Amino acid sequence: MISVTRDDFDLNAEIDRVRRPDMGGLVTFLGVVRDEGGLEAMELEAYEEVAVKEMETIRDEAFAKFPIGAVTVIHRIGRLRVGENILLIVVGAGHRKEAFEACEYILERIKESVPIWKKEIGEGGERWVPGDSGK
Amino acid sequence: MQVRVRAFARLREAIGGDLTLETPQGTTMSGLLAAVGDVSRDAHEALFEESGELRGYVILMHNGRRVRRAEAATLTLAEGDEVALFPPVAGG
Repeated sequence: MISVTRDDFDLNAEIDRVRRPDMGGLVTFLGVVRDEGGLEAMELEAYEEVAVKEMETIRDEAFAKFPIGAVTVIHRIGRLRVGENILLIVVGAGHRKEAFEACEYILERIKESVPIWKKEIGEGGERWVPGDSGK
Repeated sequence: MQVRVRAFARLREAIGGDLTLETPQGTTMSGLLAAVGDVSRDAHEALFEESGELRGYVILMHNGRRVRRAEAATLTLAEGDEVALFPPVAGG
């Protein structure tokens, strides 16, 4: 499943959704809002329809590059407080190595090309987080 | 013809939100960008350098596909098209 949503997710439910008997490893990346320099909250904005399509393309690339069995990506948008979940990636594979590699590949590609932006909100005011890539 | 313009993050704030612009038939992406810049001083400053060049960080999309800035002068828009303008992404 690939989604951009305002809702939080249930980690165990998402892992169970992709779990299969032929998978020896389910690698999970959970990104959360980090307290840094008096940060209170993060406002996430997306070009939603393009973001979903781009994440589907990234999932397809991961399937083409690595021998994996399942991919789930859930990216949250809206106002999120420190400690709240932002991003979940679950990759299921027969073996752990491919699952780790595919998970990292998906994360790096998301940061590079999915149209989502973050604004930090804290004591000192508001600030857009500079993007990783202008490509 | 009508073209929808969507802007995101700090460009959305500078332009003031989504726009629907009435443009002549055959308007190019460059022509549309100039029209967006005419909306307000903030919009113009967010999009263009003092020299009139499109700022280096502005990413262009046409109907959900990225457009290289070299194509902007020749890409012709059509009725109902959607153009998106945004700064480098920062998800994950």
